[in-house]
Amino acid sequence: MTTYSSPSITVLTTHCIYFDVSHSEQTILETQKKVWALAQLCQQSGDFIDVVPANNNLTLYLNDPLRLQYWLSALNEHWLEVSLLKFNSTHHKLPTRYGGVHGPDIKHVAHYHNLSVDDVVQLHSSGTYHVLFLGFQPGFAYLSGLDKKLYTPRRSDPRTSVPKGSVAIGGEQTGIYPETSPGGWQIIGHTDFKLFDINAPSPCAFAPGDTIEFTIKEVLS
Amino acid sequence: MITVVKPGMQMSIQDQGRTGSRHLGIGQSGCIDPYAQIICNRLVGNPDNCPVLEITLGLAEIKFDNDYYIALHGTDMKATVNGNPIQPGWSYYIKKGDVLKLNAARHGFRSYLAIGGIWQLPTPILGSYSTDLTAKFGGLHGNALNPGDSIDITPQYKTKIGLGAMLPPKSTHIRVYEGPHNKLLSEQSIDKFINHSWHISPSSNRMGARLSSDECKLEHALSLPSMAVMPGSIQLPPSGEPIVLLNDAQTTGGYPLLGTVIEADLRHFAQLKPGDFLHFEFVSLNEATKAQQKLTSHLNQLKIALEYKNKQ
Repeated sequence: MTTYSSPSITVLTTHCIYFDVSHSEQTILETQKKVWALAQLCQQSGDFIDVVPANNNLTLYLNDPLRLQYWLSALNEHWLEVSLLKFNSTHHKLPTRYGGVHGPDIKHVAHYHNLSVDDVVQLHSSGTYHVLFLGFQPGFAYLSGLDKKLYTPRRSDPRTSVPKGSVAIGGEQTGIYPETSPGGWQIIGHTDFKLFDINAPSPCAFAPGDTIEFTIKEVLS
Repeated sequence: MITVVKPGMQMSIQDQGRTGSRHLGIGQSGCIDPYAQIICNRLVGNPDNCPVLEITLGLAEIKFDNDYYIALHGTDMKATVNGNPIQPGWSYYIKKGDVLKLNAARHGFRSYLAIGGIWQLPTPILGSYSTDLTAKFGGLHGNALNPGDSIDITPQYKTKIGLGAMLPPKSTHIRVYEGPHNKLLSEQSIDKFINHSWHISPSSNRMGARLSSDECKLEHALSLPSMAVMPGSIQLPPSGEPIVLLNDAQTTGGYPLLGTVIEADLRHFAQLKPGDFLHFEFVSLNEATKAQQKLTSHLNQLKIALEYKNKQ
């Protein structure tokens, strides 16, 4: 029998509610699945300008501050309901070139864990990753599901420019850089998969709740 | 058409920004003082959400290649047209070939320039023409304007000229609604945050106003799960120097929040420049709502007054 500790619901300002379930006894992913479902329910209500899931929490931006009291009292009930909701998500396959010029840090990651480069590629490409939420920069996805054997500290000397499409590991997370930007994660590969295109009708390829997998396109030495 | 001769420290195209995409990591952007934007747009007969130029610090120059109605608002940058002084808060008729020069702002930081007409910009992105200076999209080319950049604006003369309107008063007294993490931070830290004056550090920009104080720092070692942040969120990094997030801020963050600047007071950050002092006060939701209603009624009164003037 799973128990839920009750969510903490705080008002951030006249039109903004913070719903926090980070103290839940379930795993981050199990709790997050309910957060996505609650986000979907809130989005469909039409009462919000923005609905932003983050790390086991949800921030709600109201259209009309007069709806604040209603939502403060209704959220707990909705939270109990949402486990029954079916959540729609998309699965993405990202063809990835590992190592060589595309993954300048893969040898370091392998060496750090006493693995071969092939082991790193196998471990990284066999996982299914969940898009927990997006943030940091447009289209950047916080992913869960990295194999513990690949947890690697960030570089002590961050790069001033990490190419767009770089697949990298930072601590307990893996991620893809949607645009060329500075960054301190260990770069192990590259994908041509377009994560973010501001001129597209929906600029981000991923949405919170989607699943992704990295498929091996090439392993370079 | 208008041409930027000198953009000064920073000049960018902004409207009221984009909403509805925060869950994709796309921030708001938009004018830091939306009231200045709305009021100067109304003075030249534009819709409220028409883009304007947000001009930081001044030392800028713009050449007009058509006759236009224009209005400046925000801080006084001792503007001149062909050498003749013009006042912020009033509309003027500008002739083809005229040059608008802005000197350095002395008592504020940002000025807004409305130009009457239809701005022929690239397709709006997610409902907004605002330049996102961090993610580099929107506006003319995703960046602040450069010398030589031209904006195609089809002039319209839809109002009477020589109209003036005041901005709601500016202030360095910032009202804040208490944050979700104040129980995690020490009571002493919260007291210090409220009881000290803070000054704006030089590393501030449209992403955030970074604050520092010679007398106090609010160091901590809290690490929290990431949550959504927005313009007005007051983050407290471990260094103990708060950051008030502004329009170009990221959408999520992991630092504890001291509180959220009430919506009505966020516009004051448009005029706070490096070195300026400010202080904070915690207020109730009721007070935040009243402050917001006061601004809304200021705009409503202006609307009625302009309709009356234009009928005369």
